[in-house]
Amino acid sequence: MSVAVIGLLYGASTLLVMFAGMPIAFALGAVATIFMVAFMPSSSVDTITQNVYEEMASITLLSIPLFILKGAAIGRSRAGQDLYGALHAWLYRIPGGLGIANVFACALFAAMAGSSPATCSAIGSAGIPEMRKHGYSGGFAAGIIAAGGTLGILLPPSITMILYAVAAEQSLGRLFLAAIGPAVLLVVLFAGYAVWRFRWEYAHAKVAYEKGGKASPILDADMLSMREKFSLLPRVLPFILLLTGVMVALYGGFATPSETAGLGAVLALALIAIIYSVWTPKDLEPILVSTLRESTMLMLIIGMSLLYSYVMSYLHISQSTAEWIVSLHLSRWVLLATILLMVVVLGFFLPPVSIILMTAPIILPPLRGANFDLIWFGVIMTIVMEMGLIHPPVGLNIFVIKNIAPDIPLRDVMWGVLPFVGLMILAVVILCIAPGIATWFPDHLMGAGR
Amino acid sequence: MAHGLDDVATASEAVSVPGDTAGFERLIAPVNYVVVIVSSVALVIASFVLTYSVASRYFFHFSTDWQDEFSVFLIVGAVFMSAAAVQARRGHVAIEAFSSIMSRRANRIRLFLVDIATFVFCAFFSWKSWILLHEAIIEGFRTSSTWQPPLWIPYSLMLSGMVLLSIQVLLQIATQIHRWNRPS
Repeated sequence: MSVAVIGLLYGASTLLVMFAGMPIAFALGAVATIFMVAFMPSSSVDTITQNVYEEMASITLLSIPLFILKGAAIGRSRAGQDLYGALHAWLYRIPGGLGIANVFACALFAAMAGSSPATCSAIGSAGIPEMRKHGYSGGFAAGIIAAGGTLGILLPPSITMILYAVAAEQSLGRLFLAAIGPAVLLVVLFAGYAVWRFRWEYAHAKVAYEKGGKASPILDADMLSMREKFSLLPRVLPFILLLTGVMVALYGGFATPSETAGLGAVLALALIAIIYSVWTPKDLEPILVSTLRESTMLMLIIGMSLLYSYVMSYLHISQSTAEWIVSLHLSRWVLLATILLMVVVLGFFLPPVSIILMTAPIILPPLRGANFDLIWFGVIMTIVMEMGLIHPPVGLNIFVIKNIAPDIPLRDVMWGVLPFVGLMILAVVILCIAPGIATWFPDHLMGAGR
Repeated sequence: MAHGLDDVATASEAVSVPGDTAGFERLIAPVNYVVVIVSSVALVIASFVLTYSVASRYFFHFSTDWQDEFSVFLIVGAVFMSAAAVQARRGHVAIEAFSSIMSRRANRIRLFLVDIATFVFCAFFSWKSWILLHEAIIEGFRTSSTWQPPLWIPYSLMLSGMVLLSIQVLLQIATQIHRWNRPS
């Protein structure tokens, strides 16, 4: 049987088993095992468990559960609300300041928690009611939180970035640094849109009021004293210190990525114990159990995805597909656009972890051949996968928002997130025109070249 | 949906499950509970071990050669051992794109077939894990680091976790058969 036929069978069986509803981890493992039995020497089937163990026993990959623990500790405390409250107090005087405060709070929280849905849930549960109380439309408020939450998979310590670093054999430190510029770009774009949209909603509310309609709360102005503003800072500062401390440990050469994950988890647990008195076994149980559930689900997908990729490589499916893509002689930008479109489509059904591990062996060789910087591409791919978290009809964050603000109609939430999808596409275009936004920071700090 | 990495992502799948710990599954629930608690503690210990590693190097100027592998063993063990507890809540993410357009009866049959396929895979993986563990004990396999801990430790955790997972899936299948046969 030719490699092409085996490859088509491999892809078709995977789709069939996955769409039948078999858990992704077991679906990938089962398909890989069946093809090992059918097309590989029997000795390779005997090493299946050893393969999975050795792929999973990477200390870099195993930093993921510890980063999840750090995120769960922060996410299940009142840190999100406190962070949001402080930013709101300091930014509310700026037109659209409440929206900007939500974007900034999402970015900072995402950097601490490293999880997109956790960010949406923590900031949104305080931010959405506050924005609506101040007259922001439901769709606009939902859009800000859904989009802000996506920064969780871009900002360090992003789990998506850790997996990309492993799959593409790139420096994790360099990838983390490369994500900072584009994340700032997205924050600026989101905040800019929040200001514009606020002005638009304010102007409409004003016209309606002047025509004798009801005064919208968006027209009211808040006042907070400096004393009130400063009183909110002490609860937030320790978390900012945690964020800074973790970054200094990683980039100051004090700790490896896995040690940073362990240190971050211990510091996060210590901070919630000191600030929020979350330290009894009863308090800690939900944090630890949710961490374990998420880590187990994720690590099994990772282990089986790596087995799946190994079989694909052994049977020359990935190499042949990569060669076929190269033989199409597409221009480099058409090649990039095609690959990103594929990532968007896969994002309808698969989590970022599976997309990265399953597609990396196929898409990275042609991209390398077309002289794309793989660090830069990792950032671009992550932004595209961020879109998958909010683009209708199946973006995860949309459903997180529906959970925390069930009275906002789904239609409004979807219309509310669409401008942010547009802004993410704009960010990808800007990064294609000015790749230095991603590459300057790592090149400057760690030296150019790889 | 299968986008997510968090509990939120799997909540919808968990809802569609008939009986969370009902029927036969009640047999394994206490075991899963204990395993989850022990595994949670293992994760926290791994965090402290890695923190100790940084502190000892920075403050006391000596480096350890065991902390990475010790953490790997703890985390790999925690992951495999709690796989059954996650399955008990249908927490392993799946694509549920067709569940909403299928009839209730068709969905039950689909879920039943999926469980059988999952069981076959997990049982096969358990059998291969046993062969690997047996070989590691007989041959005295160790890691290639300077610390060189025996590999039967993580392999036995992998085997125990996969056996527990296979039993969990089998009990879920049995629960479904039992419900079909029960007069309504």
